[in-house]
Amino acid sequence: MSSQEPIQNSLKPGKWIRSTCKMCLHSCGSMIHVTDAGIINKIEGDPTNPSNNGKLCPKGNSAIMRHYDPNRFTQPLKRTNPEKGPGIDPKWEPISWDEAFDLTARELKKSIDEDPRKLLPSIEDFQKFNIWNWPLAFGNQNSFQSGGTMCGGAYHPVNGIVHSAFAVANDVKHCNYWINDGTGDGFSSHLHAAAQSNWVAKARIDRGMRCVTIEPRLSTSAAKSEEWIPIRPATDRHFALSLCHVMVKEGLCDYAFLRKDTNAPYLVGADGYFVRNAEDKIYVWDSVDEEAKLWDDPGIKKIALEGIYEVNGNECKPAFQRFVDILDDCSPEETEKVTTVPAETTWRIAREFAEAATIGATIDIEGRTLPLRPAGYNYYRGAQGHKHGFQTNHAFKMVNFMVGNIDTPGGLMGVTLDDQWVDRSHVEPGENGMMLPQPHQLGPLPPFAFPPTTHHLLNYFPVGLHPPHLNLEVFLNREKYGVDFVPDVMVICHSNPLWAIQGPRHKWLEFMRSMRFIVVSDIIPTETTLWADVILPSHDALESWNMTMIEPPHTEGMCLRQPATEPLHNTKSEEEIFYELSERMGILEGYNAVINIVSGFEHKPELMLELDKKYTDKEIARRKGLLWNDKDIDWYAERGHAVTERRTDKWYRPWEGMRLHFYIEDMVKERDQLKANMEEADVPFRNDWCWDDYQPLPTAVLDPVHEEPAEYDLYGIFYKDIQLNFGESLSNPWIKDIVYRDPVHIALILNPKTAAAQGLEQRDIVKVESPNGFLFGRIGTSEGMHPDTLGVSNALSRTKTSHKGVAHAGGHFNDLLPYDLKNTDAVTGQPETVCKVKLTKLDDWPEGLKDGKSVYDLVDKLQETGGGGVH
Amino acid sequence: MVFDLRRCIGCNACVVACKQENSLPDGVFFTRTLSQEYGVFPNVNRVYIPTLCNHCEDAPCQKVCPSGATYTRDDGIVMVDGEKCIGCNSCAVACPYDQRSVMTKESFEDGLYADGNLTPFEEQGYTRFTPGTVTKCDFCSERVDAGLDPACVATCPTDARIFGDLDDPQSKARQLIDERGGKPPLPEKNTKPKVFYVS
Repeated sequence: MSSQEPIQNSLKPGKWIRSTCKMCLHSCGSMIHVTDAGIINKIEGDPTNPSNNGKLCPKGNSAIMRHYDPNRFTQPLKRTNPEKGPGIDPKWEPISWDEAFDLTARELKKSIDEDPRKLLPSIEDFQKFNIWNWPLAFGNQNSFQSGGTMCGGAYHPVNGIVHSAFAVANDVKHCNYWINDGTGDGFSSHLHAAAQSNWVAKARIDRGMRCVTIEPRLSTSAAKSEEWIPIRPATDRHFALSLCHVMVKEGLCDYAFLRKDTNAPYLVGADGYFVRNAEDKIYVWDSVDEEAKLWDDPGIKKIALEGIYEVNGNECKPAFQRFVDILDDCSPEETEKVTTVPAETTWRIAREFAEAATIGATIDIEGRTLPLRPAGYNYYRGAQGHKHGFQTNHAFKMVNFMVGNIDTPGGLMGVTLDDQWVDRSHVEPGENGMMLPQPHQLGPLPPFAFPPTTHHLLNYFPVGLHPPHLNLEVFLNREKYGVDFVPDVMVICHSNPLWAIQGPRHKWLEFMRSMRFIVVSDIIPTETTLWADVILPSHDALESWNMTMIEPPHTEGMCLRQPATEPLHNTKSEEEIFYELSERMGILEGYNAVINIVSGFEHKPELMLELDKKYTDKEIARRKGLLWNDKDIDWYAERGHAVTERRTDKWYRPWEGMRLHFYIEDMVKERDQLKANMEEADVPFRNDWCWDDYQPLPTAVLDPVHEEPAEYDLYGIFYKDIQLNFGESLSNPWIKDIVYRDPVHIALILNPKTAAAQGLEQRDIVKVESPNGFLFGRIGTSEGMHPDTLGVSNALSRTKTSHKGVAHAGGHFNDLLPYDLKNTDAVTGQPETVCKVKLTKLDDWPEGLKDGKSVYDLVDKLQETGGGGVH
Repeated sequence: MVFDLRRCIGCNACVVACKQENSLPDGVFFTRTLSQEYGVFPNVNRVYIPTLCNHCEDAPCQKVCPSGATYTRDDGIVMVDGEKCIGCNSCAVACPYDQRSVMTKESFEDGLYADGNLTPFEEQGYTRFTPGTVTKCDFCSERVDAGLDPACVATCPTDARIFGDLDDPQSKARQLIDERGGKPPLPEKNTKPKVFYVS
């Protein structure tokens, strides 16, 4: 190369293509540089996209390595070794696409012709709901994918009830006091990580926004916050309730909001139902006239939030009073016994939070005068992923209800997943002046049925997201659950359930062995692809088309993915794969009908797919773009996206004039309906069902993880950072080169005092056992870990795959977690994601980890190389 | 260059962007983000510290370079001319910041996937390096010449890296240093770094 030519990749002769990142499920705008020789040599953030403003996270920066990964599947493959298992070579044999499609369709059809429920799907490309929902084409609502439990199994339904939205985030433009509980939003994870970090940094530094992080470990969010509040795992709900306790006791609530914009004043009878008249209209109490009036009576003088009243001879209380009663037992002094958070800290945080919320203040935005409540309690996976997930999410919501910040400038905002078209409102009126609760943000659930129509019992979770761990519970106890079908084929697409779903590995492997036929469509080998009978290799995100909007925390609009190059290998788009299978299985019409619904095409009849045709990924993308703003694919191809900041009329209080669900009466209704259904159908496990989980207001009940036998003397938690966000990361050499040099990701972390008390030192090899399973690892210490807790990084979670770049650890944290009903929220299906563990020191690694190829050997090697960094 | 330690979240996007931009082999870094924990539970914190070549005005690496391979551009960027470098490693030893890497033959031969093969990305990128020579961050000098920010700066999610002319009182970098008391790394080494930290 002559010295005149650029040596830096972004400046070499070539072209830039605007597209959308797919290194996690979100949709940051990207620009892809392709050299004149057709090599992709640089990916940057798209500065025209107001979500990520030209920024990309480390995963987004490493997409090239996925594209050129030599381990990629390069053509359709068929297994020739009937023996399956970790470390067993499938002995792949190349086959033609026709043969692969014919063989796969024949095997799948054989099972679904017998019973559509015999197919287990794990289809997890969250940017393509047209693929995700393929099983609906033949009425199948099974799920073997991790999307519910390791995400927001209870979070999303509660957001759907309170905000009629999928996710939540604090309003970064106005928030001045940002609490993060068990989430890395704005620092390391969750919604559009690079984008949100950018916005939160501006708020922190340019506006002086104060941040407080509640977590058992010193996460990135904790490290960057003004204050880290260490908390014992699985007790965040108790902390939140004690904040509410303080705000109620000290009168720090937005009473005007609670009276006018919520159902907090609605009267509730002893049975938990609102008190209604014969026409089903709900009563409130007028404290001036001292009588009950209907909620919409124009003559109400002052609506009561507190007190005990009698209506039609029955005692009742405003919903707010019922919550105050619960809070009586939730003083900071009381919850400290559970959370370990000093009571004085809780008192102070509650006061600071309420003060920062500036109750009574207003702000003018685009012609509307809105309340200004610049304080928000934000939370996610770590805080919400517990047995009592519904109540836990509700408790966090209550902290926000207290200061009237819901969907309000500066407060906690409902973040829609995909608005589909630019003018679409996500809010609808419901009964008695309340907003319609929409817990099923990913579509309707299967109705009650016994025997169940789903292998993970989704028929019994009235506001649930998929609980995939229950596939194992049912597999081991099919008779108990009355499941009268045996799934025997699996369809896996861009998903690694063997890695991502909790429960002990050896039992899951038995489950996998019980399958007659497994087809996998993916890009690279994983723990799960090793079990495939047929591999249908798909294009990667640099070779394919898509149009998506995925829960951007302050922007909206469609983002285009377009190919930067021709496919490197003999691969196909996911669309072509599922269309070819559908045609051969005779379900093409059903599949197109499903896409018309889930992609919103039915909203504009001219965009509806014809039922007997097959469509390309480009055509589906084109129609989604047209649905959004009537712009054709060329418009998007030039610009890359139609992203703008969130429209303020949809973003701030879109429910104006409706009342929000402070009290979730549906919990009582759903419980009683399910009980009645189970009684009528004589469901044998109805007495094992956790009926107490259905609470219209959050309570201080303990999660069962706290009641494990005393020998398990530590809590086990699992964590990620931005380099490990969401799915596959650890096969990527650039990610490995940064993650395995980071002290928090290379060992099982204990507080030094805890390590000493356990007789352990750094680098000691240990066996970690929970009541459910075990793993092996090496100890490291950090003062940034709660003394009750063992922290396990996601970087130490991989088990055997045929990907040569993935270093296996000594087991997976998921092995330690429960998969039973006792530890599953009976409302939403969210399982407990914290466990109790005990540690045993070992003299040496067990067999299988001695070969010098475990992740710990890689860590040691990296510590010896790659210096550079004295400051 | 100014590093705003309040902004940096230690995400390493900069590090990967640099690897992309400059086709760096495994284990070679022109920039790193370190982390340091301090204090005792519960009064503990962690600081994330970006590092790269400080482009010192009195660059020890340049002083010891026997071949003249290390030189300073008019705009102050310290460069290494790979064609002149004889791989003696004196500069790497002299650099008090440990910011120079010897590009070994193995680092190119093993490839990023350590399977002895190079990806097309590596094939198009490694031609800029001469095995056996020393290399380091040059502030993405070609991007700077083209009016762009260095790759690490452009991608930084929190804008923790601020690039600009320190001699220009109007530049954001200069203003940050003045307003928040920017400190150079290891001032006792008297190398006059052109990189400052604000906290």
